[in-house]
Amino acid sequence: MVFVLFGVSAIVFYLARGFPSAFAPWAQYITFRMKPAQIEAVIKAHGFDQPLYIQYWYWLQDVFHGDWGYSNWANGLPTFEVFASRFPFTIELTIAATILTVAIGIPLGILSALKNNTAADHASRIIALTGYSTPSYWFAYILQLVFFYYFYTWGLPNLPSGGVISQNLSGAVPAVTGLPIIDGIIAGNLTYTADAFAHVILPAFNLAFISLGYLARIVRASMLEVLRQDYIIMARSKGLSERIVIYRHALRNALIPAMTLTGLFFAGLLGGAIITETVFSWPGVGNVSLRAVFQGDSNFLLLYSLVTALIIVASNLVVDVMYVFLDPRIKY
Amino acid sequence: MTVETTVTEVRESETKARIAELKYAIYLMRQNPLVLAGSVLVIFFVFISLTATLLVSPDAADRLIFTRSYCWSSSVFSWTSLAAVCPAGTFLPLGTDGYGRSVLDMIVLAIPLDLSIAFIIVIISTAFGMVLGSVAGWIGGKFDEAILRITDIFFAFPGLVLALVFAALFGRTIETLTIAVLLVWWPTYVRLSRGQVLVEKEKTYVEALKALGVHPSRIVLFHVIPNSIYPIIVQMSLDIGGVILTFSALMFLGFSPSPALPELGNLASDGIGHVFTAPWLIVFPGLTILVIALAFNLVGDGLRDILDPRLRR
Amino acid sequence: MAAKGESLLETRDLTVNFHTYRGEVKALDHVQLSLYPHEVLALVGESGCGKSVTALTILGLLPGNAHVLEGQILYKGEDLLKKSPEQMQEIRAEGIAAIFQDPMTFLNPVLTVGVQLKEAFLVQKHLWTAQTRDKSATGAVDAQIRGFLLEKETEKEGSKRESGRDREKIAEELSKDILKLVRLADPERILTQYPHELSGGMRQRCMIAMALARRPSIIVADEITTALDVTVQAQILTLLKELRDTIDASSILITHDLSVAAETADRIAVMYAGHVVEVASTIELFRKPLHPYTQLLMKCIPDVRKPVTHLESISGTVPDLIDPPTGCRFHPRCPFAMEVCKTTKPVLKDIGNGHLVHCHLF
Repeated sequence: MVFVLFGVSAIVFYLARGFPSAFAPWAQYITFRMKPAQIEAVIKAHGFDQPLYIQYWYWLQDVFHGDWGYSNWANGLPTFEVFASRFPFTIELTIAATILTVAIGIPLGILSALKNNTAADHASRIIALTGYSTPSYWFAYILQLVFFYYFYTWGLPNLPSGGVISQNLSGAVPAVTGLPIIDGIIAGNLTYTADAFAHVILPAFNLAFISLGYLARIVRASMLEVLRQDYIIMARSKGLSERIVIYRHALRNALIPAMTLTGLFFAGLLGGAIITETVFSWPGVGNVSLRAVFQGDSNFLLLYSLVTALIIVASNLVVDVMYVFLDPRIKY
Repeated sequence: MTVETTVTEVRESETKARIAELKYAIYLMRQNPLVLAGSVLVIFFVFISLTATLLVSPDAADRLIFTRSYCWSSSVFSWTSLAAVCPAGTFLPLGTDGYGRSVLDMIVLAIPLDLSIAFIIVIISTAFGMVLGSVAGWIGGKFDEAILRITDIFFAFPGLVLALVFAALFGRTIETLTIAVLLVWWPTYVRLSRGQVLVEKEKTYVEALKALGVHPSRIVLFHVIPNSIYPIIVQMSLDIGGVILTFSALMFLGFSPSPALPELGNLASDGIGHVFTAPWLIVFPGLTILVIALAFNLVGDGLRDILDPRLRR
Repeated sequence: MAAKGESLLETRDLTVNFHTYRGEVKALDHVQLSLYPHEVLALVGESGCGKSVTALTILGLLPGNAHVLEGQILYKGEDLLKKSPEQMQEIRAEGIAAIFQDPMTFLNPVLTVGVQLKEAFLVQKHLWTAQTRDKSATGAVDAQIRGFLLEKETEKEGSKRESGRDREKIAEELSKDILKLVRLADPERILTQYPHELSGGMRQRCMIAMALARRPSIIVADEITTALDVTVQAQILTLLKELRDTIDASSILITHDLSVAAETADRIAVMYAGHVVEVASTIELFRKPLHPYTQLLMKCIPDVRKPVTHLESISGTVPDLIDPPTGCRFHPRCPFAMEVCKTTKPVLKDIGNGHLVHCHLF
């Protein structure tokens, strides 16, 4: 796992710092008013003229001291703060999207499996496949078009087109967790919570729509597999009602792969859904990372890649642990 | 009984079995309306790709008529109150883009570009991944470990990050973008092939072939790979949709070589600033991407059901 | 032993086909079976001869691609094939119980034995309705249950219906009792364990317990000893014989092993390629096997008492049931085959003493 982290950081380091003609690493530390001599000094001070592997070593040392550098384009803030201030918003979006995906995807998959090869099955298959054939930026704009613009022109209550919370409500509630909905609930401020909720629906649905299909297919496949097992025949032979056979005997087995998939999905989303966040002006980590790419900010990109890699690797471990809990046959 | 005849017999029985399976697969395919629909769509899009230059003159992309940019011609259906109306007498069923070009024409020109890039990426990833994965799975040991770790690293990158960085770095040409997407895609096939080879390796027919003295490269190439190719075919057809989505997303985010390039994601990006004044610019190119991806996903998904040995009978 | 009185279960002309991509598999062809009270009927035959299919048809658990073309299954005077799925569920809950071959795959791996055993009790509606309880309880196991429930009832001072938790507790006690009945030590602990934590023999006993829990009038045991090693096999068979004497149910014992049948069964029915070829009491069958197939089967079993120089087998292979032989399905392999055997199907004839044969020779 450590190897993966080093590998990721090495690759990003090489790409972000190895081509100073495209991305100038010292751009994060200078202002446009500086004279060439001053710029030279900055370069020397940060060691940007050294060979790459030495730069990497300096960077490692800095990181161990908690210094991730500065991001000039983001108001010159320390890179870590740029990341940390945005991360809670990504977390909120991730949780909302995961809940939606699970709430729609799993029942859809179960329905497909139970009504195998009927019209309902075909219909849900089309929904599922359409979901992951959809370009997320396209769907995002369609959602905005319909729910923000058209609803407004048709006189219906419309959903906001972007942002985390309406301008007038911003800051109305103390930021305890950094997640607007949770903070609103903690502060007991209903208007704030409702507003935050309204803001998160569209981006969450955008993300969920694309993945719920995949989840539904997995649930369907594993349900079908489970329903052909011998212990289902046994359960039926006991005279148990079909409902009990499905909910007590079949689902507990069938949902195991779905649960682990959800775990991985959650982890993947925590890395920041770049496109969705950009279209909905969601001030999360993905949004900011796009600008970091355009600015060639190696500091931010390194922090970002490492955090997301860490999350993904950690989630694999968590999923393994989940397996031990969910399936009594597995002992590690 | 010589080695050659025994090997030939093994091959013959394999071929016979495969033909029987193929017949069964076709039987299943005919029963599945979704796969049929998907296949029809795929054929339709391939046809359009091949005849695009006959339907639309290739320089339509270069003819910029700014007087009629961002207009929608139908007076029957108006998108929004802010949309401009195209001059009368023009055949512009899907409106125009920022350069006054017919959106329909641009989409038709874009389809072959997107499809061919998607095919190239998928074929290269598959070939490369299969070679690397099969060798890793067969040889095992340290080499296998190393390949596994390297793919782990690539899998740890979320979504588009790697492709974005690469694209931002090495400039915006179609070639570099293709490589950028390849970087994201190749590990899947390595893992897939490796997994397949690991399973096949333990089977008795491989042992038999080894005992006959057949060279491992021939075993892998002519026996193991053909026997384990189904999941890879499924993955390939599903991935074509995925690659088109990724590639067009890159273009959409602003990495396209030229703003006027007829490419589906690029065409959509033209509409970003005009969501409420010219929504058709995002709607139709995006819809095209959706339908293409859906077609390939329908076929791939159907193939997966058909070729899954456990779900049959 | 003459068949006494009315049959508990009777299948008449049972014909079942399976629809597969390669064609119609004619799995059962006019199967005729009768099960009488207080007996163990063994259903013997090679793999693929249709014994399990018969069992599944009786239970109403055939897979989706199976069609019952004709026939009746008479149980308590009613045709099971005409019953709705809900009615069949009730019958399976309280009338006909099944024990299957491989307890590893037939027990749910993610649920404890306790849950799976308790639900066998909880599913019986009549058990939990005071009015019907006493009427339906008979037999040794039932006496235990009845006694236990009477205790509980006096404790509760006349509350009309037990709450869910009460039921759980009662079911738990009943489960422990029944595990003792199948000779399992430490029932308390077993209830908390998962199937994979038990040995094969213990799992099989749990399955038997689950069947007994429903106080069935008929037990269908499908190859229950096949997946066990020989010593455990012997234990299970001994258990079965003990139970036969204490419980009030008849069993259909399905096996491919004639010796198992010989040891445990009162009557034996031999099946081949989808139909019953001979039925007789155990003693009668071994003393005077009439059908050529039965005779050949007996010859295949080497005699332990004599030195064996040469293993007998029946020439030919089991027919493909998609395209079975015309007339009598055994004629290609029958040493006594006549012209009529190739064209007309024989009828199951009663030779006397309840000995039935399906052959043109008689």
